[in-house]
Amino acid sequence: MNSLRCMVKTLMAVFFVTLLAFSHNSYADKQANIEIETFWVVLPPNVARSTAGYGIIKNTGDEPDTLLAIRSDGGSVMLHKTDIKSGMARMLHMDNMIIEPGTELVLEPMSYHLMFTDLCPIIFTKGGAVKLSFEFKRAGIIELTVPLRPSWQ
Amino acid sequence: MLNKLITLAFIALLASSNNVVAEDVELPILSGIGGEFSAVDADGEAIEFSDFAGNVVVIAFGYTNCADICPFTLGYLKRLYSELTVDEQQKIKVVFVTIDPEYDTPGHLKDFIGHFNKDFIGLSGSQEQIDYILSLYQARYNKLSILDVPTQNIRRVNPKLFADDDEVKEDKASLYSHSVTLYLIDKEGFTRSLEYTGTPVGDFTGKIRQLINE
Repeated sequence: MNSLRCMVKTLMAVFFVTLLAFSHNSYADKQANIEIETFWVVLPPNVARSTAGYGIIKNTGDEPDTLLAIRSDGGSVMLHKTDIKSGMARMLHMDNMIIEPGTELVLEPMSYHLMFTDLCPIIFTKGGAVKLSFEFKRAGIIELTVPLRPSWQ
Repeated sequence: MLNKLITLAFIALLASSNNVVAEDVELPILSGIGGEFSAVDADGEAIEFSDFAGNVVVIAFGYTNCADICPFTLGYLKRLYSELTVDEQQKIKVVFVTIDPEYDTPGHLKDFIGHFNKDFIGLSGSQEQIDYILSLYQARYNKLSILDVPTQNIRRVNPKLFADDDEVKEDKASLYSHSVTLYLIDKEGFTRSLEYTGTPVGDFTGKIRQLINE
């Protein structure tokens, strides 16, 4: 039943992303330069309900850009930041993250990260890959497929 | 032959240098941190902290619905553990205490922890037991409300297709802020060092070896 749900969800996600890609072509600023590098997603334990993704988002353009949304076939995705103060880790939800020109947003363990929830078990398998779609205010939609790796690698 | 001798000399040098480093580290007893407690292990059996007597113990606090730091910490502890010899591994207990015993039942913890290492020990129990353990280690946690950290309808990949009870329950996943200290405890149960996931693995294993050899 879960697999069926995931398949339906995945199909809906593909449809949704495709629809957005077409709709955003009309206003996406092709002069904006966003480069997304070295992304990977943690292969979670089978019983986990969440996992994280890491990588680097670079703004190589001359204008700030805003990360509006992140989508995936693996589940719901949010941009979070683990903030450690006085030995306490707290999680902050980051909305509409602005990436200034010439800067990069580094997502790494114990800092900024993609938080995946509502995981699709058929996606999160050993040796598998996750589709990601980043939607930026200026650069539009950037899609990529990233590997799954255990947290200890 | 010469190569073998050089290799042996190099290994001997490394071994002796490790011993020197280990001997140089001061690990005083940190009074007021730690103590006897009871909990429930991953097989559902009652367990006392004193059951670990004679072993060096590393304790971490966390919860399985944590996406970032807890899996990363357990991955770090797996790398740490793999740096120890088989003999050393038999003299150390790596313990993960959940701060969310309501969701992290013993069976669930066993499956989760087993992903990282079958030797690692997951501890759950009643909320009172967990709160007491946390107080012993001066550790803290705070439950974040769904309003504080939205888990639904925010940057959702795909529109909700189902709204049955299971889905609603999933969206109400509890999130916590919590202490991230790793407690290094000697064979007599005294806390001797406070470490972090960022501690260089070599430094941490050196301290573990020092306590094993005491």
